[in-house]
Amino acid sequence: MPVAAEPPPIQIRDLHKRFGDLEVLKGIDFEVGSGEVVCVIGPSGSGKSTLLRCVNRLEEPTSGTILIEGTDITDPNADVDLLRTRIGMVFQHFNLFPHLTVLGNLTIAQRKVLRRSRKEAEEVARRNLERVGLSDKIDQYPNHLSGGQQQRVAIARALSMEPEMMLFDEPTSALDPELIGEVLDVMRKLAEEGMTMMVVTHEMGFAREVADRVVFMDAGVVVEEGTPMDVLANPKHERTRRFLSMIL
Amino acid sequence: MGLYAVLVAAGIAAAFFADWPRIRRIFFQTEIARDMFPEVLTRFAVNTLVYTFAAFVFGLVLALILALMRLSPVGPYRWIATTYVELFRSVPALVTILLVNYGVPLAFGTRIPGGLFGIAAVGLGMVAAAYMAETIRAGIEAVPRGQSEAARSLGMRPSQAMFSIILPQAFRIIIPPLTNEFVLLIKDTSLLFVVGTTPLTRELTKFSRDVMQENSNATPMVIAALIYLVITLPLTFLVRRLEKRGARGR
Repeated sequence: MPVAAEPPPIQIRDLHKRFGDLEVLKGIDFEVGSGEVVCVIGPSGSGKSTLLRCVNRLEEPTSGTILIEGTDITDPNADVDLLRTRIGMVFQHFNLFPHLTVLGNLTIAQRKVLRRSRKEAEEVARRNLERVGLSDKIDQYPNHLSGGQQQRVAIARALSMEPEMMLFDEPTSALDPELIGEVLDVMRKLAEEGMTMMVVTHEMGFAREVADRVVFMDAGVVVEEGTPMDVLANPKHERTRRFLSMIL
Repeated sequence: MGLYAVLVAAGIAAAFFADWPRIRRIFFQTEIARDMFPEVLTRFAVNTLVYTFAAFVFGLVLALILALMRLSPVGPYRWIATTYVELFRSVPALVTILLVNYGVPLAFGTRIPGGLFGIAAVGLGMVAAAYMAETIRAGIEAVPRGQSEAARSLGMRPSQAMFSIILPQAFRIIIPPLTNEFVLLIKDTSLLFVVGTTPLTRELTKFSRDVMQENSNATPMVIAALIYLVITLPLTFLVRRLEKRGARGR
């Protein structure tokens, strides 16, 4: 029986991005399906973070289309602010708001953007703080938390907007090695709950274990993609092989 | 050693050749000093502080607007703000006060409301705004880029990100230079005499000068100087402590 197919959460066609003379993305076609976890790997400077940042238009694409649940967000009339409430984002350097407590970090956008009441926003915040296992830190300021705890708070902050998909921009790259596990655990749980996730990462263990699909990028193009098994264990391309041999 | 010799020689010379009783009479006459109290504190020091606050608040609001204009993506806003800042940093505060006091009624057919209070707010505030605008802009630019990216990624509009996320952090950074600006304003209120004052609206310097001229004695100015010192010294100490704490926190 043919069912009216839901458009995929993220669909990118022929995306180009240049910074001056430098073309960082050279025609990317890319898709993330509903509930899918896609890990984007590749050497630094390959354009993977730029690709991720184009999805919620923190970077303006130079050309090409980005469809979020079927809506073209590269349209100049697109409501970018509304779009961003549906896409959670987690940064390499956490970017928590240092002048607000953990609770304040989790409620401010709910209140200002979603216009939720204080009571409702705090309930949502508590629930999401519990998901990342940091209920006891609710009244702390970010600089009193470890890097791993800060990143978990940042994830809870993004989740408090109740987004339909999450973007992770090297979420563990700024962490001490012993703190990486706790963040990956939270992300793994999120994936198991069915969250649609696009993750730029260097954590090959996480990619192998959690990703539905791995995309290898180099020099602004997608070199190869497939199941973690295909890309990480049996890479077809020489460039992929060279990259993996360097980091494993 | 030679330097100490000069010091000792100067000390001896001062002790022997200066007319100490006369110096004491002119600068430190207790009866004249006593007569100034308590009004010098309860009215005239208070006036000075009121004018300072008026100028500071007006200046701060104007400075915030100017700083946001300087960071605006819209060219004309930037040009207007830059012109304003350069202009009012180059013109003596005295000139601005006179322009505001005499020019505004002539040009607009109405005086600035609030009398000297209004003149202080607008005249001194306009000058202070030029300096504070640069301070605020620097503060805004000192907040890491990731902060506004995080705010925008949560769906905040640029103005929401600015007022809820960026400015609270920027102001924390610029409290020391803003306090310095406040101290400068306290002293600049002494310029307000040029627009004419009534006995009750005088600030510290004008009042002391009047007493000085009545008595042909400099003691009132010494009292004024001491009161300025008492008001500003704690503030400058506070700035130094805040700056040290800021340097440590970073």
